[in-house]
Amino acid sequence: MMTKRFHFLAVTLLTLGLLSACGSVPEAGPDGGQAGAASGRTGDDGRALGRADGSAGSLDGRTAGMADGKMAGEPEHRIYFALNSDEITPNSASVLTHNARWLGKRNVTIEGHCDERGTREYNLALGQKRADSVKQFLISQGVEPSRIRTVSYGKERPLVNGHSEAAWNKNRRADLVP
Amino acid sequence: MTHFTLRLLLTCLLILSCAPAHAGLQIDISKGGLQPLPIAIPQFLDQPGGASGGRIADVVAADLERSGLFQILERKGFLQDPASLWQQGPNFKDWRIVGAEAVVSGSVTDTGTEVTADFFLYDVYKGTPVGKGQRFSAPKKDWHMVAHRIADEIYARLTGESGYFSSRIVFVAQRGDKKWLSIMDQDGLNRVDMTEGRSLVLTPRFSPNGDNLFFLSYVSGEPRIYKWELYTGKKSLVDDYPGLNSAPSWSPDGSRMALTLNKDGNPEIYVKDLASGHLTRLTHSTGIDTSPSWSPDGRRIVFNSDRGGTPQIYTMNADGSSQTRITFEGNYNAAPSWSPRGDLIAYVKGGGGAFGIAVINPQGNQGRNLTSSWMDESPAWAPNGRVIAFTREIQGKGSRLYTIDLTGYNERAVPMDPDINASDPSWSPLLK
Repeated sequence: MMTKRFHFLAVTLLTLGLLSACGSVPEAGPDGGQAGAASGRTGDDGRALGRADGSAGSLDGRTAGMADGKMAGEPEHRIYFALNSDEITPNSASVLTHNARWLGKRNVTIEGHCDERGTREYNLALGQKRADSVKQFLISQGVEPSRIRTVSYGKERPLVNGHSEAAWNKNRRADLVP
Repeated sequence: MTHFTLRLLLTCLLILSCAPAHAGLQIDISKGGLQPLPIAIPQFLDQPGGASGGRIADVVAADLERSGLFQILERKGFLQDPASLWQQGPNFKDWRIVGAEAVVSGSVTDTGTEVTADFFLYDVYKGTPVGKGQRFSAPKKDWHMVAHRIADEIYARLTGESGYFSSRIVFVAQRGDKKWLSIMDQDGLNRVDMTEGRSLVLTPRFSPNGDNLFFLSYVSGEPRIYKWELYTGKKSLVDDYPGLNSAPSWSPDGSRMALTLNKDGNPEIYVKDLASGHLTRLTHSTGIDTSPSWSPDGRRIVFNSDRGGTPQIYTMNADGSSQTRITFEGNYNAAPSWSPRGDLIAYVKGGGGAFGIAVINPQGNQGRNLTSSWMDESPAWAPNGRVIAFTREIQGKGSRLYTIDLTGYNERAVPMDPDINASDPSWSPLLK
């Protein structure tokens, strides 16, 4: 038991270490807030890109933070998918049911992800379908649609860096970011 | 003609349907597996004050060599020097002795701000010029472009087709977790980093006139399509629907954009009129529809759909009618790109743990595999429809850009700083 827990901790720390080494942008702060807010864009000229340019990395930060430091009773905010599939498995359904209950009046962003196999644009669409499946499920469990935002990262943000079936199984996922 | 029609290594691989444009010195590029044409490209003669004759000739030679259609002869064996060649014209016997079938004679003048190069191309066996002498000038800092234009001209005169050397490639560069947009000459030189890598950017696409890009950016936190006017620096958000905005593709006349949106609940292909903003939905399947690419006449669109259970390639009319599946081999066919000549569609063909670049004609016939590796993707055509750039990801070792001739021969890595990963190429038209 000890060994197992220690192992989990080590993996978690390792994952966090990797992620924070990759995208070291503060989680909070004005930039982070802007990244999430759809209203933060103007798009009328080049300034839209320049102004918000410091923001996208913060999404990594939030993903990384999420796996750790959860409140008591807080469910796992991550589910996994089969190859080229956006289907919610029975196991995932139970995770999402807990999430729906826990979310209550919170807002949530659902990030859809794919493994590294396959083309970039197909994977962007597949990640979106995964996020949408989760969104539909949460709505069916009573979460208000207006509280849910979806983002697909395709194969751009693997959870684990690896090139094996085991790594791909972990990377085909949806992350709920409250 | 017999001297110059190249010896074929393979006789049966009929690839193109181009008729030779001129008699005389002519590479028959309608066949695969060619033996390249031996060509002599001595240093260009520097006129007083000039110092670019060597490097311009080197870039011309490098362009032609990389095409796979030319064998560049070693200069050290040449019997006639550049000054004599330029002033008296070729001593054809001397060039026959070194095995040249064509010889290029050039002269370069540097003024303070401009570089000007003149050149002549000769058919060694016939003992005659091929075409007329020609002059190219550019600001001194753009001397590469003078060389690329000369290489294009030589390529065109000897193959009967337009070249592709005076063009650029935009791509996504990556170091660590940062991705940014970068533009370089097609030979991998003169790279200019366009963004700083603070937000994720994907899938840049040159406009048909080469002046603008579409690209995907997560700068707002969500994938949105932006337009970048390269020569004014102006960037604008062109698409802002909830959820997925992706796979932008310019229509050949630059007036419309095909793209993928899931605003109606599922990833579907739409066409947006860029002037009016009017949006037309083209697909209605419950599967994924994405990666649209226009035929050069703007009347058809090739795209990727998994409506049949696996990702496959489909074509449709530009109004969404006549949706037809054209790939049936393999369980992962994606990322189609319609050749600027119109006769072929390049795409990613996956299966058996490998992904390669393949081509097929728009009717779905005569499919051929060009490459295979752990992960080849994002095929992008050179402006003459002869060469395909693509991304090759090597397992655990990052990604590089490669080019392949549409015969499946002459696979080359595009030179790149070793610490930069490169992906998602888009090839500009020939620069004006």
